[in-house]
Amino acid sequence: METATEQRTLFTKEEIGVTTPEDSKPQHRPEKTLPADRAQDKPAPTVGKPFVDNPRMACRHVNVFYGDKHAIRDVSLDIGRNQVIAMIGPSGCGKSTFIRCLNRMNDTIEGCRVTGEILLDGQNIYARQVDVVPLRAQVGMVFQKPNPFPKSIYDNVAYGPKIHGLARNRAELDEIVETSLQRAGLWDEVKDRLSHAGTSLSGGQQQRLCIARTIAVGPEVILMDEPCSALDPIATGKIEELIDELRRQYSIAIVTHSMQQAARVSQRTAYFHLGDLIEVGRTEQIFTTPRHKLTQDYITGRFG
Amino acid sequence: MNNGKPKTIEIVQRSLVRRYRAERRFRRMGLGAIVLSLVFLGFLFASIVGNGYTALFQTQVQLDISFDPETFATGELANADYPRLIKEALYKAFPQVTARGERRALTGLVSSGAAFQLRQMVLADRSLIGTRRSIWLPADDDVDMLVKGHLSRQAGRLSEAQLAWIGQLQSQGKLAKHFNWTLFTAGDSREPELAGILGAVVGSFYTLLVTLALSFPLGVATAVYLEEFAPRSRWTDLIEVNINNLAAVPSIVFGLLGLAVFLGAFGMPRSAPVVGGMVLTLMTLPTIIIASRAALQAVPPSIRDAALGVGASKMQMILHHVLPLALPGMLTGTIIGMARALGETAPLLMIGMVAFIVDIPGGFTDPATVLPVQIYLWADSPERAFVERTAAATLALLAFLIVMNGLAVVLRRRFERRW
Amino acid sequence: MLKKTLQAFAAVILIWTGAAAPAMADAARDNLKIVGSSTVYPFATVVAEQFGKTSGFKTPVIESTGSGGGFKLFCAGVGVEHPDITNASRRIKPSEMDTCAANGVNEIVEVKIGYDGIVLANSRKAPPLKLTRRDMYLALARQVPDPSGAQKVVPNPYKTWKEINPALPASKIEVLGPPPTSGTRDAFVELVMEHGAESYDWIKALKKSDEKQFKAISQTVREDGAYIEAGENDNLIVQKLEANPKAAGIFGFSFLDQNVDKIQGAVVENVSPTFEAIADGSYPVSRPLFFYIKKAHVGRIPGIAEYVKEFSSEKAWGPDGYLADKGLIPMPDAERKQMAADVARMKTLAKDALK
Ligand SMILES: Nc1ncnc2c1ncn2[C@@H]1O[C@H](COP(=O)(O)OP(=O)(O)OP(=O)(O)O)[C@@H](O)[C@H]1O
Ligand SMILES: [Mg+2]
Repeated sequence: METATEQRTLFTKEEIGVTTPEDSKPQHRPEKTLPADRAQDKPAPTVGKPFVDNPRMACRHVNVFYGDKHAIRDVSLDIGRNQVIAMIGPSGCGKSTFIRCLNRMNDTIEGCRVTGEILLDGQNIYARQVDVVPLRAQVGMVFQKPNPFPKSIYDNVAYGPKIHGLARNRAELDEIVETSLQRAGLWDEVKDRLSHAGTSLSGGQQQRLCIARTIAVGPEVILMDEPCSALDPIATGKIEELIDELRRQYSIAIVTHSMQQAARVSQRTAYFHLGDLIEVGRTEQIFTTPRHKLTQDYITGRFG
Repeated sequence: MNNGKPKTIEIVQRSLVRRYRAERRFRRMGLGAIVLSLVFLGFLFASIVGNGYTALFQTQVQLDISFDPETFATGELANADYPRLIKEALYKAFPQVTARGERRALTGLVSSGAAFQLRQMVLADRSLIGTRRSIWLPADDDVDMLVKGHLSRQAGRLSEAQLAWIGQLQSQGKLAKHFNWTLFTAGDSREPELAGILGAVVGSFYTLLVTLALSFPLGVATAVYLEEFAPRSRWTDLIEVNINNLAAVPSIVFGLLGLAVFLGAFGMPRSAPVVGGMVLTLMTLPTIIIASRAALQAVPPSIRDAALGVGASKMQMILHHVLPLALPGMLTGTIIGMARALGETAPLLMIGMVAFIVDIPGGFTDPATVLPVQIYLWADSPERAFVERTAAATLALLAFLIVMNGLAVVLRRRFERRW
Repeated sequence: MLKKTLQAFAAVILIWTGAAAPAMADAARDNLKIVGSSTVYPFATVVAEQFGKTSGFKTPVIESTGSGGGFKLFCAGVGVEHPDITNASRRIKPSEMDTCAANGVNEIVEVKIGYDGIVLANSRKAPPLKLTRRDMYLALARQVPDPSGAQKVVPNPYKTWKEINPALPASKIEVLGPPPTSGTRDAFVELVMEHGAESYDWIKALKKSDEKQFKAISQTVREDGAYIEAGENDNLIVQKLEANPKAAGIFGFSFLDQNVDKIQGAVVENVSPTFEAIADGSYPVSRPLFFYIKKAHVGRIPGIAEYVKEFSSEKAWGPDGYLADKGLIPMPDAERKQMAADVARMKTLAKDALK
């Protein structure tokens, strides 16, 4: 209750008004429209290998605008099968914006426009006939700020399976809830108080609850926006283990500010800077021999 | 930080005094405002209760009624001459009164409703016929006012002889105040001692039930549509402006609208709670819509993201997450609207609910009036005894309001506990 | 929980719209609908209540709409949605009869029920007033004849009663009265102000030559604070008079009757406003009260004839009847008897009779 109200006031500040029907939202404009202030300034070309063979998701010439603000500039990038791609870059460079494009969460933001193509298994997810509900069941997301439902811990995790009808009975649902919480490393802490409010957990616990909630649906692609920013090293370790395990079946995109984490969990790394995708490559290569000056500055801590 | 410049802590210390002073001032002002409003409220309550509590009691006269079989000889129990039973009893109690005019004055001490009470007793239990019973019957309102001290002995409304009889009855213990059940079990009446608020309470209940059943779902649905689904366009802006304007329209206008549309075009009955409820629905809708929209806007967008993120459809997001969170706010708006509807008379005037209605309404289409109308009608009646009953009816209105608000608080708690 | 609540609401609404519609379509009415004058309302309601308790019919529903509003509703047509009876504190106007006729309401039965006196009263704590209608006119009109005697009007210069008539007290003129929407106010203007104005011959002559001017002089109440509009609630006026013994108030006789311990009526042209004086016509400020029956409804709406019979019975409107207890001044015996007979036959009103 306490946390909930707190969270509420905290969030309403940056609240966004009316949302529009999701289908009519993104407009496809093949030609590039640049805002006035950066009209001359061409998007930086990407260094490295943005493409892989047989990708899970493929993004081509993606641009994102918040009204006049050009937040993502002509980004082309593949998300490979059964691997983890880490997205790094300074704050405000557009990592969250980009990752939110991958399951069309940007549709809910008024004034946000996405152009270009994003293909999931060869199918453009921004096509008219695509239904976002199954898309988001397939491409799950863990948000930057923990946002548990103001419901019990159990209900938080059970919600996704319930609406999708993943469990045939209560026992199966219990089973899903338990394994999801276990995999998110939260089970031992909450198993005695599943009926307590999700919002009564600590910040780090809430984040793990959100991870459990996401994996409970069994998505094929998981998008994680700084999932460990509020976690201690032990919990972080558990999550990293989880990511590693999930990778065997699924594809994962993770945004992180921790270079070590990126190095530990990911196979590929993408470096963003002011809306541009500067460099992509195998993680070892990026951290050992970055090719672009900006990447080098960033990973050696000389940035800024 | 150093080299001559004052330290931050010093600056903070200096401004601290000022800051705390402002804080204290603000707190005192807030406290003052609360005390002042409490004083006003206390004054209001004291004056209403002070005026109204005497209405809870009614002076009654104890008479030895003999249910003379002759009176019922015709066999028609309903139409027997019940007033005569009372007259006979009074004449027996005061054998010295014989002149015609005096006897009239004597019977004037007992309410004209007493005969109806006897009628009801006999209709309920035939075996009374032929027996002799000592029965408490309501006294006339003038006697009641005199006993309660609202009418001076010199007033002239009661003659010297009548005052003497009253004194005699009092000394025999045959004139006493009893709890005024009539006030809570009867409909309106032109005789204060027979008038009650039940008809108005039932009318208010039916009317508000219609209002609630129509305005809450309509209001919430409208708010949800406007807030969550409607595309931003000139049309939705226009609708929004109009809704906001409607909230400020004088309530009588809704009465005129109701007269023209519900009575005129649809041919619905006059004075009926269903029409009253519909008119009040028009009045309360804007309030509910505005409050509901504010409540919807206050739901954090992160909750919406969370729901959409696990693959909930828009409708599921709204029904499962947004509405439950917004419901307390919506209920608050609804209660404000309903409380306003409860106190309205002006729009009801146009559709014939400001009327003298004795029978207690048995349904949504029976003629009915509402509590504030009853108060208004009684306040306008010449009989002195209606003054205290007006205050009592006001108390009943307040009680109704408190019950309604209490219910809303309970409901709100229930929904709030869920998160 | 939420789902259930929503479902319940949906069900309720469905039932409503389903049940209410046919209930309205078949609209046989089993109770009388009566509208009209607020002056007659206290008397009609007593009869209605008595009727409802003794007759076995439902108690009539009575709305206080004012005489004019009553005629408007009454004349709107024949049928269950229109009222059966309208009360009036004045006679129906020929124009209203025309409206009625235009809407198919052709046969109307007029019933005169008695008289109502209008009184000027003040607190018992002050000495009683002794006035003429001319005094009241001079005290309350906006424009009055020039005190110098010239045949022209001047804005009302009088501040105290004594300035009007040396026999009156020197206290300030302060009269609480009903607003223009009230029937009592109409009657006061007609019976007191107009009459007072007509006591000046040259104003009376105006009535023929320049009616507009006559109305402006005789019917406009002053607005400089000497006449205070106190709202429709006569009880409030009584309370204010008690608190302010210098002020006087205008209301119907029944309020004086109910509050004789607090207020006293002014003597008008040497007659006190008593029950007897109004009944025998010696108290000058009184008016007849009526109700009108829609004959086409008789026999169609149950109880009309019985209600009217109750109203015109001696135990109701007779000198010792219960209406007299409520302050209605009965008609003289002969007139009452005649009226009762006419009503029993449902004698309809001819338009010529209004002249
Ligand atoms: N709803 C919005 N409306 C307008 N501009 C936005 C919106 N959301 C983000 N931006 C802008 O887009 C740019 C990219 O924001 P984004 O949130 O993607 O950054 P980020 O890389 O995730 O930063 P961080 O590491 O701090 O989370 C920023 O300049 C930000 O100000
Ligand atoms: Mg971010």
